[in-house]
Amino acid sequence: MKEFHFTVGDPNGMHARPAGALAACAKRFACAIRVRHGEKEADAKRLLSLMSLGARCGSTLTVQALGEDEEEAARALEELCRVQLGAPKGKET
Amino acid sequence: MDTRKRAERRLVSGIGVSGGCAAGRLFFLRSEEKAEDAPEKSAPTSSEEEWERLSVALEKVKTELAVLAERTQTSVGEEEAGIFRIHGMLLEDDDLLDALREELFRKGKSAEGAIEAGVDRFSAILGALDDPYLAARTADLADLAAQVKRALRGISSAEGAVLPYPCLLVAEDLSPSETILLDRSSLLGLITFRGTPSSHTAILARAMGIPALVNVGSLDPLYDGETALLDATAETLLLAPTEEEELAFLERVERERRIAREHEAYLRTLGERPALTQSGRRVLIYANIGDGSETENALAKGAEGIGLLRSEFLYLGLRELPSEETLFHAYADVVLRMGDRRTVIRTLDAGADKQLPYLGLAEEENPALGMRAIRICLARREIFKTQLRAILRASALGRLAVMLPMIVSPKEVEASRALLSECMEELRAEGKAFDRELEFGIMIETPAAALRARELAEQVDFFSVGTNDLLQYTLAADRQNPLLAQLCEENAEPVLRLIGEAADAIHATGGWIGVCGEMAADLRLTQRLVSLGVDELSVAPPYLPSLRRRVTECE
Repeated sequence: MKEFHFTVGDPNGMHARPAGALAACAKRFACAIRVRHGEKEADAKRLLSLMSLGARCGSTLTVQALGEDEEEAARALEELCRVQLGAPKGKET
Repeated sequence: MDTRKRAERRLVSGIGVSGGCAAGRLFFLRSEEKAEDAPEKSAPTSSEEEWERLSVALEKVKTELAVLAERTQTSVGEEEAGIFRIHGMLLEDDDLLDALREELFRKGKSAEGAIEAGVDRFSAILGALDDPYLAARTADLADLAAQVKRALRGISSAEGAVLPYPCLLVAEDLSPSETILLDRSSLLGLITFRGTPSSHTAILARAMGIPALVNVGSLDPLYDGETALLDATAETLLLAPTEEEELAFLERVERERRIAREHEAYLRTLGERPALTQSGRRVLIYANIGDGSETENALAKGAEGIGLLRSEFLYLGLRELPSEETLFHAYADVVLRMGDRRTVIRTLDAGADKQLPYLGLAEEENPALGMRAIRICLARREIFKTQLRAILRASALGRLAVMLPMIVSPKEVEASRALLSECMEELRAEGKAFDRELEFGIMIETPAAALRARELAEQVDFFSVGTNDLLQYTLAADRQNPLLAQLCEENAEPVLRLIGEAADAIHATGGWIGVCGEMAADLRLTQRLVSLGVDELSVAPPYLPSLRRRVTECE
C-alpha cells in the first residue's frame, strides 16, 4: 500500500474543479484509491464522494492506494494535489 | 398605488454580480418558455425498461453538455467551459449511478423519479456541508436533473430560450446551461429574483461581460415589455424611467464606455504607482468588494487595498448562520489574495435592506432606524463573537483591519472592544494565531458619530465614512427614492462638513480616515474630500482608474 498526506492550500478547498481532476486521474489506475479527511472517507474515483468530504483550506487529507499500480497512482495523485489544491489561487507571488 | 409608493418601487436593488449598465425593454422569461417539468409518468414500465430509458437520456445529456462545453470554451473561456465538463462527469459518476439504480430497481421508481431522488440525495449532502460554494453547487445538480428529465421527454436542452427582442432578461432564476445558451446578440442584461454571487450563472454572466443583477426579490409582471435601466455597478434597476431619466442614462452609458476605453490605455502606462496629488500628498486608492472573487478584478484595476469588505453576503441566502470556519475561509481567501495590502472588513451590517430571516427579528415600522448592524451584533453577542473570531484568525494570514458599522456612541465601541479582547483571550488559550495589533476602526455613518468624533477617535485607529447612510441620516432623505435624488444631489455640503469634523478629530490622535460610500466615486467631490484631509478613498473596482486619475489632478 502507498500512502501520502496532503494539506489543502487552496482557499476554496476541495471544490468541483479539483475534485473532478482528482477523480479523472484516479480512474486511470486499476488500484483502489481511498481519500480520508478526518472521519470521512471517499473513493477517489467518485466525484460526488470527493466533494462530500467537505475538505477545506488547511484540511489534511490522507490518500491511500492499494493494488498493482499503487506506486504510480500515488505519485500521480500527489503531483495533481499539489497543482490543483496546493497554492492559493490568484495570489500573486 | 399612490405616487409615493410607486416612486419607491421604481428603483429596485439587488446584488450586482457583474458590472456595467444597460437600458432596454424587460422580457420576463416564464416557465412556459422554459421547458416545463414532466409530470411523473403515470404507468411505470418495468425497471429494466426504465433503466434503458434513463441510460439513453443520460447519454443524450452528456453529448449536449460536451457541445455546451465546446461552445463555452470558444465564446467565453476555458475556465467557464469547465463548469459543463464537471456536469458531464457528474452524470457518469458512480455515486450518482449507484443511487439511480437503487431508486429504480429497489424502490421501483420511474426514470424521472429516480433522477430526481438521486440528485436530491447529493444536494442534501452538499447543502449540509456549511460551505456556500458547495451549497451553490446544488443549483448545478438541479439543472442537471432538469436536463435529464427534458431528455426523457425527448426535448433537447441544446437550444436556449427565444428572446423576442434585444432585452433585459428577467427570470425567477437561471441555470448555467440556460445562461450560456441565451442569444447574446439580443441579451442586454440579466435580472434574477433569486440567485447568489457564487452561483455558476453569476460567474458566467461576469465572464460573458453581461450586466447582471441577482437576488432582486421579485418584479411585477406588469413591467414585462417595458423599458428599464439596469445599473449593475450601482446594483440598481430603475423601472418605468421618464424620458429624461432614460436620456441621461444613455448618455452616461456612452460616457462610461468611452472613459473605460481611455482608462484601459491609461492604466497600462500608469502601473501601480501611488496616487499623489499635485502637492505631493498620498491618497490611498482602495476597492469595495463583496467576496474573494472580486479581488482579482480590483487588483487588476489598481486597488492598493480593500477599503470595504462587505461581510454580509456570506450571511445571505443561507438557512442558518454561517459557522466560524465558513467565515474564516472566506476572509482568508481575500487576505491571502491581497498579500501585504490592507483589507478592511466591516462587521455584519444586517437589518434595514439586508434582512436575514433566520435571525428571527421582529418586523419593524422603520427598519432604516431600527435594529441593524452593530445593534444586532451587540444584542446577539454569539453571532458577533463568531465573526470576530473568524476575523482574528484570518488576521494571522495578512494585513487585516476590522471596522464596526452604524456606531452612534462610545459605549458601543467599548462593548465591541471588550468582545474582541474576549475572543483574543479564547484564541490565545486555544493556541490559534491572530494579529495582536489588528487595526480597529469604526464607520462614520450617523451624524451622532461625526459630532462626537473626538471622543470616538480616542478609542480607535481609524474612521471610514459610509456616505450613503451618513447622507440619508443627515438629510432625512431616502436615497433610493428617485423623487429625492435631486435633494440628495444638491445637499452634499452638510455631509462634507461632518466628514471634515471627523477627519480633524482622527488626525489629532494620529489615526487615518477613509471614505467608502458613493461620494468617494463622485469625481466632482474628490478635490473637496482630499482638501478635508481624507487619507483613503474606496470605490467599486470599475471606478478605480478614473478615481486614481482624478486624485493625481487634485491640488
